[in-house]
Amino acid sequence: MQFVEFAAICNTIEETSSRLATADILAEKFPLLTEEELPVFVRFMRGKLFPDWSSEKLGFGPNLLYDALAYVIGKKRSYVVSAINNAGDIGKVVESLLEKREQTMFFSEELDLLDVNGRFLQMAKSSGRRSQQERLRSAQYLLSNATPLEGRYLARLMLEEMRIGVGEGVVKDAVSKAFGVPSDVIEHAHQALNDLGEVAFLAKTDPGRLTEVHITAFRPVKMMLAQQGSITSMVETHGKLAAENKYDGSRFQFHKSGGKCAIYSRRLEEMTASLPDVVGMLDKATDHDVIIDGEVIAIMNGKPMPFQTILRRIRRKHDIGDATEAITLLPWVFDILSADGETLIDLPFRERRRILESVMNAYVAPQIVSDSAEEIEAYYHASLDSGNEGIMLKVLDSPYLPGNRGKLWIKIKPEVDTIDLVVTGAEWGEGKRAKMFGSFLLACQDENGDLLEISRVATGIDDSMLSTLYDLFKDKIIAEKGKTVTFEPDVVFEVGYAELQKSTNYEAGYALRFPRFVRLRDDKDVSEIETLDSLTRRYSLQNKEE
Amino acid sequence: MLKATIEADIFRETIDAVSALVNECRLHVDEKGIRTITVDTSNVAMVSLELSASAFLTFAAEPCEIGLDIEKIRSMMSMIGKTDIVSLELDDSGKKLKISFGGYEYSITLLDTKTIRKDPNAPNLNLPATFEVPGAMFYDAIKASGMVSDKISLAVSADTCVFTMNAEGDSDRIKRELAGDDVHYITCADARSLFSLDYLKDMGKSIGRAEKVQIRLGTDHPVQFSFVYAGGKGSVGYLLAPRIEAD
Repeated sequence: MQFVEFAAICNTIEETSSRLATADILAEKFPLLTEEELPVFVRFMRGKLFPDWSSEKLGFGPNLLYDALAYVIGKKRSYVVSAINNAGDIGKVVESLLEKREQTMFFSEELDLLDVNGRFLQMAKSSGRRSQQERLRSAQYLLSNATPLEGRYLARLMLEEMRIGVGEGVVKDAVSKAFGVPSDVIEHAHQALNDLGEVAFLAKTDPGRLTEVHITAFRPVKMMLAQQGSITSMVETHGKLAAENKYDGSRFQFHKSGGKCAIYSRRLEEMTASLPDVVGMLDKATDHDVIIDGEVIAIMNGKPMPFQTILRRIRRKHDIGDATEAITLLPWVFDILSADGETLIDLPFRERRRILESVMNAYVAPQIVSDSAEEIEAYYHASLDSGNEGIMLKVLDSPYLPGNRGKLWIKIKPEVDTIDLVVTGAEWGEGKRAKMFGSFLLACQDENGDLLEISRVATGIDDSMLSTLYDLFKDKIIAEKGKTVTFEPDVVFEVGYAELQKSTNYEAGYALRFPRFVRLRDDKDVSEIETLDSLTRRYSLQNKEE
Repeated sequence: MLKATIEADIFRETIDAVSALVNECRLHVDEKGIRTITVDTSNVAMVSLELSASAFLTFAAEPCEIGLDIEKIRSMMSMIGKTDIVSLELDDSGKKLKISFGGYEYSITLLDTKTIRKDPNAPNLNLPATFEVPGAMFYDAIKASGMVSDKISLAVSADTCVFTMNAEGDSDRIKRELAGDDVHYITCADARSLFSLDYLKDMGKSIGRAEKVQIRLGTDHPVQFSFVYAGGKGSVGYLLAPRIEAD
């Protein structure tokens, strides 16, 4: 498929607001693509360059894109930056600026979907002395050959933000429709493969294999998540339940196969190099090839440390040796997804727990099984007393549903009014904070994943956190106007507040009263932030209480 | 098959000339020598190089193609002493190249030639002005221009036969004119094109070492540089696509 055709399809979808119509357009195109093109097309539609399980990165931020664009059109970088500041949408700015180009080439080529993908792969793997220059030149090549409309989507792909309203659900529906595969089969295969591109490929080439897919070592799958709930209603519905501590730590997935080990964060980023001690502990704790789910907590002088401590370790890429001495990390494992090559996610939890206990000789998280609300309540309070966040209740018959936030796992923790929001911008500070960001603009998401601004937060951030945040955001600036900057939205804050109010000042229609920064949620992805639906629920719940 | 020995200096100049623009290349080997032609990542610059068998101290080869990670070899170059003799030997499988020098033996895994872009066809260009200038003089002007701008115009006037290099920045300008004994014309004609200094700086290091570089220039056309090295037994050609000023 020519890239120009891909861009035209994106454009049609961008102008289509109906989810159903979008799925129809995709379902119509999928069968026309070759086996090689289909997975690439599926990933690109969602603004993904690599499978979801992959830790691979393009290594290309907005700044390199500005440089490449400035070069191709023969203008100063500042000209490009001010155009973007005025328009806001990088894709559309690239589109309008590409009308005029300065650099000529020996061979101008029509871009092909697979060539574009090949260029991206090459950019991702380039390393060493000239890697930035090589990435830049690849981007120059792509932008030099692109029509303006192609430029719009190339730019968005390079920043891995498509924003045309194609979510996972739409793609799954379209694959199901295009190849006549039941949606539960698609869903299940997607949970194990964690790459919609490959799911689509199998649906096209060999749908029978979709039911046989296995979870594979070193291809992390999404973690199963929990909803909030209550002990009594869970006991009423399910009777006997498993209860475990809810650790104030960092979730991980550990893979071991053929003597090799790797550990992944909640966002499925590989953390093996940052957590060598944890990897070593888990490696020694089993002789089997396993994929296990757990949480790592930090301990200093015998006391559990807050979650921030671990994040500091995870974020740190150098001087790991020094950091390993100051704090001890302790992993707790509570589920197993695969043992000795066999995929276990469809087994009931009680069965998986039995296997987990048999393959691990340490670090298995304590658990009680009970049908007594009183006993579980007591366990909950004991758990809080020993420094945990609360408890998890798990249905004994439940399969492991990767990426699912259902009613089979329930978290019980004290009511705290905090919500997770993505940071979309900031304002430069004043006085001694003039070279730092002072207040941050926050957004929630609607059902399409579009971001809606809801609040600003400035309180609760100490000087050391301010400088951490400055380092974190300085390369994410995509636009700047006066004192206001706009960020690539991919950092999540947990924010506390006193009350949720209706408001016309923010796009979300709500505002937070007395918002305060609680912590950075590096482990959370922008897709996991608060939705408008759950805000509405919060609002009605809050007003019921009054 | 390839088994050869070569002086360190010639080996270094060969690698430098190619690595100025690309990280990898396809090397064609036969009994006459080695050659490569390749285009950079952005399709803006091209390099061709030929080194004849007689430039080597010893040379035995049968026709073959090898995929070289030039960047790897370049980074190893600091280990090679100035007066070392470098010996090159392709292993029997054709997948590794053994490079030996000063007591070291470096075995480098070759790239699958299928993964390297196919050789470009050098475009057929009608470039009216052809002349020679001292390589070092040209490179000095490029370096100076880089201080004020990121592009440079190269121009020849048919009336005066002066070769002008002009770099204009936001506030500053650097102009270098070459005339008289410094330029030797083969054909003197009107020509003017604009080029990115980024690429010229990369090419300039090798050009700067050449006693003379031949430049072929047109108007809003690519520029071609050719020069010899290894006592005339090696030749390098660079081609750079112009920038066309938007109005």
